[in-house]
Amino acid sequence: MSLLHSILRLWDRIAPAPVAYAHCDIPCGIYDPHHAQMAAHTVVRMIDLINQLEKPGPGATPEQRQEYMAKLSRYVLVKEQHAEIAKHEVRVLWGDYFKPDHLKTFPELHDLVWKALKAGSKARQEVNLQAAEDLLKTTNEIAQVYWKTKGLETVRVKAPYPTERETVYPKFK
Amino acid sequence: MLPFARFRVEDDSMKPYLEAGDYVLVNRWAYRFRPPKAGDVVVFSDPHMDGRYLVKRIARPSSPNRYDVSGDNAAQSRDSRKFGPIERERILGKVWLRFKP
Repeated sequence: MSLLHSILRLWDRIAPAPVAYAHCDIPCGIYDPHHAQMAAHTVVRMIDLINQLEKPGPGATPEQRQEYMAKLSRYVLVKEQHAEIAKHEVRVLWGDYFKPDHLKTFPELHDLVWKALKAGSKARQEVNLQAAEDLLKTTNEIAQVYWKTKGLETVRVKAPYPTERETVYPKFK
Repeated sequence: MLPFARFRVEDDSMKPYLEAGDYVLVNRWAYRFRPPKAGDVVVFSDPHMDGRYLVKRIARPSSPNRYDVSGDNAAQSRDSRKFGPIERERILGKVWLRFKP
């Protein structure tokens, strides 16, 4: 069976199979926008790091070029992964948590989700700080909506991360 | 239309029969000449989300052309207990072969 599984996995790379979910929306009811926000912060941070990275000049040694490439690859990889995590988390909130009732109170929700997903894609495709900032901004706004549906006020504070961008936290009484 | 469709399994409600990462081949013609029966594992379209497919086991027919489905791993399954019986037209086909890593 294992060989056939490998063949199917290879086939998947060429033409991905659709997914049949053995879905376990228990439903557990456990959702939190924090993952999306943190992933967005990570994307911002990676773009900052890429922009700060000193590019090797014409006189750079092979070792310097190699070091540059190695660092750049790592930043790009993490940027890719976290933009995708942010998109995934936003989709889970949108598809599984938010209900039509929420939309009545927050009619902007669909648009916010759409903007977040678009910004996430752009942040993957390019080294684009504005896209990353947009991703963070929209995930923060989604977080704000999320916490309001839980009856909690939110605060906007400077995140305790090196990005030093704004983040939204719930205000617990 | 070919009789077989391939799917990749996600999530855990059919554990241990199917686990995330397994592949299944689904026979779309399985129910041309006979109705689905209890115990069949079927792929069907999710009544709660257009375009998404679910894989579950048929528990019992609930009425002609409607079936209760359940996950083998009942503690972690969203199934007929949640969305009620599914119509026969929703069923894409029967899981015919499964491939585990």
